[in-house]
Amino acid sequence: MDKQLDLLQGTLDMLILKAVSLGPLHGYGILLRIQQISKDRLEIQQGSLYPALYRLEHQGWIASEWGESENKRKAKYYRLTAAGKRRLQAETENWNSMADVIAGILGTKPEEI
Amino acid sequence: MTLWNRLRSWWRVILHRSCLENEMDAELRFHLEAFAEDLVRSGMARQEAMRRARLEFGGIERTKEECRDARGANLLEALAQDLRYGLRMLRKNPASTAAVVLALALGIGLNTTVFSFVNALLLRPPTGAEAPDKLLQLWLHNRGTSGMEGYLPLTYPDYVYYRDHNQSFTGMLAFDGDPESVIWNRSGEGQVVLGQLVSGNFFSLLGVNASLGRTFLPEDDQPGHPQPVVVLGHSFWQQRLAADPKVVGKSLLLNGTSFTVIGVAPGGFAGLLVAIEPDFWAPVTVAEQILHDAGRLTNRQGYWLFAVGRLKPGVAAPRAGSEVNLLAQLIEKEHPDTNKNLGANLFPATLVPGPYRGFVSAFTGLLMAVFGLVLVIACVNAATLLLARATGRAREMAIRSALGAGRGRLIRQMLVESTLLSGLAGCLGLLLAYWTSPLLLALKPVSLPITLRVPLDWRVLLFTSLVSLSTGIVFGLTPALRSVKVQVAPILKDEAQSASYRKSRLRSSLMIGEIATCMVLLVGAALCVRSLLNANSMDPGFDTKHVAVATLDPGSLGYPEAKVHGFYEQLSRQISALPGVSSASFVNHLPLGTAREQSAAIEGNHSASGQNAVSVDVLRVAPGYFETMGISLLSGRDFLPRESEEPGGTSGGVVIINEAMAEKLWSRQYPVGRRITLGEGTGLGLEIIGVVKTGKYRTLGEDPIPLVYLPRLPGRRTLVVRTSGDPRFLLDTIRREIQAVDANIAATDLETIEQYMALPLFPARTIGLLLGASGILALVLTSIGLFGVISYMVSQRTHEIGVRMALGASQHEVLKLVVGHGLTMASIGLALGLAATFGLARFLSSLLYGIQPSDPATLLGVSVSLIFIASLACYIPARRAMSVDPLVALRYE
Repeated sequence: MDKQLDLLQGTLDMLILKAVSLGPLHGYGILLRIQQISKDRLEIQQGSLYPALYRLEHQGWIASEWGESENKRKAKYYRLTAAGKRRLQAETENWNSMADVIAGILGTKPEEI
Repeated sequence: MTLWNRLRSWWRVILHRSCLENEMDAELRFHLEAFAEDLVRSGMARQEAMRRARLEFGGIERTKEECRDARGANLLEALAQDLRYGLRMLRKNPASTAAVVLALALGIGLNTTVFSFVNALLLRPPTGAEAPDKLLQLWLHNRGTSGMEGYLPLTYPDYVYYRDHNQSFTGMLAFDGDPESVIWNRSGEGQVVLGQLVSGNFFSLLGVNASLGRTFLPEDDQPGHPQPVVVLGHSFWQQRLAADPKVVGKSLLLNGTSFTVIGVAPGGFAGLLVAIEPDFWAPVTVAEQILHDAGRLTNRQGYWLFAVGRLKPGVAAPRAGSEVNLLAQLIEKEHPDTNKNLGANLFPATLVPGPYRGFVSAFTGLLMAVFGLVLVIACVNAATLLLARATGRAREMAIRSALGAGRGRLIRQMLVESTLLSGLAGCLGLLLAYWTSPLLLALKPVSLPITLRVPLDWRVLLFTSLVSLSTGIVFGLTPALRSVKVQVAPILKDEAQSASYRKSRLRSSLMIGEIATCMVLLVGAALCVRSLLNANSMDPGFDTKHVAVATLDPGSLGYPEAKVHGFYEQLSRQISALPGVSSASFVNHLPLGTAREQSAAIEGNHSASGQNAVSVDVLRVAPGYFETMGISLLSGRDFLPRESEEPGGTSGGVVIINEAMAEKLWSRQYPVGRRITLGEGTGLGLEIIGVVKTGKYRTLGEDPIPLVYLPRLPGRRTLVVRTSGDPRFLLDTIRREIQAVDANIAATDLETIEQYMALPLFPARTIGLLLGASGILALVLTSIGLFGVISYMVSQRTHEIGVRMALGASQHEVLKLVVGHGLTMASIGLALGLAATFGLARFLSSLLYGIQPSDPATLLGVSVSLIFIASLACYIPARRAMSVDPLVALRYE
């Protein structure tokens, strides 16, 4: 159970959107939250987090502003925009149906064909 | 929305580059420190924690770079890099860069020039007028006539009716469509100025305010109480009145009537007609006083007013159109005699009036097409050059793509280079247009009272930028797409040397197309130049060397007939007495001008309305006209002074006819002594007393036209003076003599007959010059292009030629190989061009004098010279091929 999983290609964006949908967070906070929710089972390359954040902001799905962190330091906080909310919903549905299909295929037993 | 977001974020990146960098630094620092603090909290030493944090984060610089990419910040940087690299590449090949830029600059520049004329004539709205898009011009349209001739401007009663009865316009103004030359008596000396009569609401409806004083009020323009007031044109006020600040309230003596200046129009405002800049405006209702033309305002058949209405808010143009048509029907009912079949049409109020726009568009369209072809040639040239260069750069491209440059990046690089070239060419082209526009304007005859402004405004700038940009993309795209198709491995292994030649089929077909286009332009140019030479040498039927002319109109000053007669008599005496003058006479208007009088003639003494009537042109001349103009009298005699004074008609007047007329009516018999009747003339008819040689009367290219000379002249005449010397030295003397006889009178169009002839030759000269220039340009560009392609071919095939020579090929055979390749292309292009010429030449036929569009001598001459120049362009590189040393060529591998 302690074994860490590598992140599936293209899923980081979705996870970031989900993480900030629960409340505004700074970059490090997003990292911690994803690790916390996944109970440390996901390994996220810290370096790849920021390009993803910038990309999402450029596309208008998240917005940023400077605020104060828990320990009174200036930090950049990200929050979900309305467009981002729709995007997250669409991606979630897409992922769920995809997961169903894949699980269905992988769970097939010989006698079911 | 996301697009908008992207743009905004990109914009932020451009504007706040350093801000973004600082934010990125701060954000990443915060991350590292927060991480390190967490590590410290779990018991790690601070120093060690910081190191761990950095280690786990990975490459910070790479992260930053990826962040910049995500933001689109790098796009700009890459573009700047491409630009710098492109500039370096262009500098590396200065000769070919200069050749391409210069060729394109000529193409773009000439197109810009033509477009600036299109803009000045067709696109530019009238300057100074408020909301010109709401202005509509009203034209009467004779349903029985087709084409441009069916359209008529308005009579004054028509204008008043439309103005007072329409519901669609907030107001309707009118102005004199053919501004009048008026004599301004300036302290005893007559000067000719241009005046336009306008309705009282002209300025207020256009929203034009006076720069000094006031403009007209409707009260100034009441029929019955016309106010003798004028508004001065701004440049007239500045140039002729030295910008006198106290000019308002002063009076000017115009055509013998005193007018009070009430204001000065704002600078730049010149009314609503193209190329006309009136010196003053006066109310329409003073027409009868200033023009001494009684009944002008009540005449229902004098069509002279252009009417323009301003649409009421909320009224669409089609509704206004159907309304004026309804009004036209109402007038037709009221005045069936004069307004029969006259409908009404609305056009946007443009500088060139609606009905004439088609004609102007066709002419400028032809020029645009011709110079568009020159630009196409320049483009093909640039494309072949870049193609050659792209092949030469295949190795560079292969290395770049091996190092990881994407396909898009390479194409972008090539396109940046080509648009850089065309952008440079565009700037040069603008400069060229700036110089050539005034040059073209200088072609116009002096006697044409037009002042055309050809500004290089935003429309021209936009046109040039678009043309330059699309040019760059068009000629850059093919080489760019070519260059990324390179196969990396063989090129890097140096195997693709000789294979590349076979790929030049694209270049060859481009070259063939260029030669074909060049052929079309050359034929057009040769035809027009030959037609110009024809027109120049065409005999107009009178002496074009030793005559001075001047137009006089003492009638416009309101002189009674006896005074007019006295003036001309005395003038004639004084001029004839001048040293060097052999004779002087008068004509009502010179042939080949814009004025024309026509009638129907029939043999005998019955009314010439039957079907046997011959349509004839009429000129009215004083005794001595034929001698003065050098028109030979074939039989009979000239008019006598007595005959030009007594009224013709019932007593049986006399006429002189031209040879064409004599042949038409009495093909073989002696006409002198016979009688003809002109028009509705009654009584005994007119006795023919002489026959003169036929000349040209309407256009230089016309077939012989029957013409009748009558001895009686109206008040407005043209003085013709014959001198044995140069008539240029006579002009000042004539001006002084006119002043001496009557100081109030000034001559309009005082010039030599040679200057006068510039008018009928104007179309031929302009077309000849423009097409001639385009043809020469096309030829130069094409030979440069051919030279470039053949030179490139030789340099690519050096190895092959070396092998051939090593195997025993003679220099002669090598020459044949190279020149043969060039000449094959040239011949195919020539054949295609000839085919296209046959299709296109009929567009030219109406512009040509005395030459058929399919003139075999021209076609042959052009073909031969094109082939000759093509072989010359091939010969120089062929010489280089001949001197290839087989040893050197073979050792190269």
